[in-house]
Amino acid sequence: MSTRRRSPTSLFGPDLLETLRLQRAGVVYALILLALALEIITKARGQAGFLTPINVTNVLDQSSLVGFMAVFMTVVLISGNFDLSVASTAALGGSVCVKLIGPWGFYPALLAALLAGIACGVTNGLLVQKLGINAFIVTLGTLTAIRGLVLVITDSRSVQSSSETLFSFEAGRWQLPGWAAISVGVLLVTAGAARLLAGRRTPGAPPLDRLTCALLVFGAAVGLLGLLNDDYLNLTRPTWYMLAAAAVVILALNFTVPGRRLFAVGGNAEAARLSGIRVDLYRIVAFTLMGLAASFVGVIYAGKFGGMNPDALTGTELTVITAAILGGTSLFGGAGAVSKSLVGALILYGLNNGFNVLNVGSTYQYLIQGVIIVAAAAIYTSAGRKRRYGWRRRRTDPVVEPAVEDEEEQVEEGARITA
Amino acid sequence: MAVAPLVSRDAPLFRLRGVTKTFPNGTVALRGVDVDIYPGEVHGLLGANGAGKSTLIKILSGALERDGGTIELHDVRIDWRTPKEAKGVATVYQHTPLVPTLTVLENVFLGREGRALVDRGRQRQELESLFERLGWRTDPDTLVSDLPLGQHKMIAVLQALARDAELVILDEPTAALAEEARALVLETARRLAQTGIAVIYISHLLDEIVAITDRVTVLRDGRVTLQARTSEIDHDALVQAIAGERLLAVESAAAHATRVAPKVALSVEGLRSPSGIENIDFVVHEGEVLGLAGLLGSGRSETLHAIFGADRAASGLVRVDGQVVGRSPSAAVRAGLALVPEDRARQSLVGGWEIWKNMTLPDLPRLSRWRFFPSPALEQARARRAFHDMAIRAPSANAPVSALSGGNAQKVVFAKWAYGDAKVFLLDEPTVGVDVGTKADILALVQSLAREGRAAVFVSSEFEELLAACDRILVLRRGRIVAERLAAETDEHELIRLAGGLG
Repeated sequence: MSTRRRSPTSLFGPDLLETLRLQRAGVVYALILLALALEIITKARGQAGFLTPINVTNVLDQSSLVGFMAVFMTVVLISGNFDLSVASTAALGGSVCVKLIGPWGFYPALLAALLAGIACGVTNGLLVQKLGINAFIVTLGTLTAIRGLVLVITDSRSVQSSSETLFSFEAGRWQLPGWAAISVGVLLVTAGAARLLAGRRTPGAPPLDRLTCALLVFGAAVGLLGLLNDDYLNLTRPTWYMLAAAAVVILALNFTVPGRRLFAVGGNAEAARLSGIRVDLYRIVAFTLMGLAASFVGVIYAGKFGGMNPDALTGTELTVITAAILGGTSLFGGAGAVSKSLVGALILYGLNNGFNVLNVGSTYQYLIQGVIIVAAAAIYTSAGRKRRYGWRRRRTDPVVEPAVEDEEEQVEEGARITA
Repeated sequence: MAVAPLVSRDAPLFRLRGVTKTFPNGTVALRGVDVDIYPGEVHGLLGANGAGKSTLIKILSGALERDGGTIELHDVRIDWRTPKEAKGVATVYQHTPLVPTLTVLENVFLGREGRALVDRGRQRQELESLFERLGWRTDPDTLVSDLPLGQHKMIAVLQALARDAELVILDEPTAALAEEARALVLETARRLAQTGIAVIYISHLLDEIVAITDRVTVLRDGRVTLQARTSEIDHDALVQAIAGERLLAVESAAAHATRVAPKVALSVEGLRSPSGIENIDFVVHEGEVLGLAGLLGSGRSETLHAIFGADRAASGLVRVDGQVVGRSPSAAVRAGLALVPEDRARQSLVGGWEIWKNMTLPDLPRLSRWRFFPSPALEQARARRAFHDMAIRAPSANAPVSALSGGNAQKVVFAKWAYGDAKVFLLDEPTVGVDVGTKADILALVQSLAREGRAAVFVSSEFEELLAACDRILVLRRGRIVAERLAAETDEHELIRLAGGLG
């Protein structure tokens, strides 16, 4: 066999361009286009503009609850499952917290709510993984059952709480001081630059990989915001919760052993299992985290409205899943990015906000949202196809037709009765 | 080599003369085959993998066109281009394509042409008469999914009868069946022949062939090497005709002996599973390559999966270095077992992932800081090493593994385990779908693992390959170990006899 020795540098090509492809980063471009379009239209109409600090932070606040759940929905989707019960679980968390806050006080009630969410997640996980029922069916069932539980707990009436702690858990803003933002930005850019230089020195390392790129861009953005206008960093509490959760999950998915394994579990469960990964455990944990996150969102929701309606958040599960799909998360597992799911949520709520600002009303809103979802799916699908063909064309190695065994061949061909 | 028909007054149903077939990629599958198929006979078709059996039956059933030679049906020359034209030829493959959610009745008459309206009453009557012809019956209204697997074959045979087939080709019909179902299928083949239908019976199991066929044709490298009445065949001649006189490049016995250490690496006791293995016991020593020779359906893959804990229903005691291994793949991996499964794409590789990510999957903690944060530098170094050591050919280590050819993909699978702690490699048909050149690379890879003092269990249906790669060979048949041989003291003929049940 003739072996072309390749120089080490070419073994790992740069993947910067790959990162910026339409198929991979399309949702980010879409958000930028949407924001610019709304900004131009509002400015042209003599309004304050879409991109004012107060409006931007409002959009962030509006998308924070869905965004928080979308972070964990992405984890469930990556693991190769699906969870429709999140909105019911959130309502359960909120109701449990509000009901128990009187007798127990806020923090024990919060704990109880989170435990209820964990219980929902574990139940989903066990039913799906141990009994082997399809996740769609299981969570469709628990969607209804958990909502039923909420009705039982609240006696089908809305429950109120006047707890100051519950209120302050959600309300108010927190300003990231400009100097802090600048320091964080400088730190990240420095780290990115250090990686860039280290990459230059190490033969074979890609000159500008995704991490370096992310550090530089994100660091520069935060630093500039701190320098130029730190009003953009005056965010509501739920927004900070969402950003914190996203940061932790992004780091865990991309830079830890369990994160890598989770992608393997979703990408090819059998291969993961035969590589020694405990597939069931990973998937159950994903459901559990989702349940925990949903109940936490329920508590924030209760704080926002000082109580809980028994039918609160109904239908939100679809918004959460839509955000993840807009972000390019695969429904078949193994692929997805938390950051892009957040961008997906921002697009949904940015549209929502734009309609309000422009006074268009909600008449066309759903129609346009639907079109956007299908368009996004179309872009991902067709870009994916092109990429595969492109790859084939670029391929330099000769394809060796595998010598197939008789028996294997027939299995593949599928059996056929000729008549 | 013309052979007189059993019943001399019959004209042959099919008469094949000088049939040739060359595939576009240059593979010559048939080099001039002469066969006569008579009505009312069970005609055994034998040959090693790649001998041309598949091609021949595909030509007979219209799925492939021949390049040269003639085929006559009832003395009329035929030139079929599609399976549709090959009316009267029904092939029952190993995996029976039935619609599990339909009843027996509906499946039997599925897709029969020329019936706009379904007349259930008439179909019922017809099915009853088919039952009678076959001497076997079942409830016509049972769902196929409720039938035991062994009976699916029978439904496929009924389908053939319902289409008035004159020739029924049974392709390895008993490979996946239990003893009882097997007897039923064998009896059915005889019965079909008695009703005047010609039956071509393909099997690797020589005892079956000897038991039920009237005549046999053996193919090797696209030529007929033996054609005779079954009653007149000597077993050795049969084996000789299948295997030929291929010479092997076997590592010298002395080299084997120095490599194998006395220390037991893996021991298996009383391994059994409902998947079809019974009481498997064996040990493998450090530095030893143990072959498991078995034909399709012998339980060879099942044995590996049971050892690895991937078969949850299996029971038995597996020890690595004397320590009992828990019954799950994760416990097996921790204990130092590594599985190279038969179906790479489905069981071993994450298709969309980069090559390097696939390589490091089982051994990720070691390539991580504090065993928790994967280190790109360590991972890439590992990939670079594997690319170099194994001569993997790919545009880049960042390329998706799904784009690799079979041989290179298999090397990636080996790389997953070769640099880790794995002490015992379980190799399930590691050269399937691998081109000839890479095959040698992979066999050399197995030898080099053994030289490092690791053990391997090597499953293959290509016995020549086992003889070349292994120190010792166990022969599996119907889920049991039926023989043990040192590779240096046996040959392909003996293995074929043992695995085929003529031992």
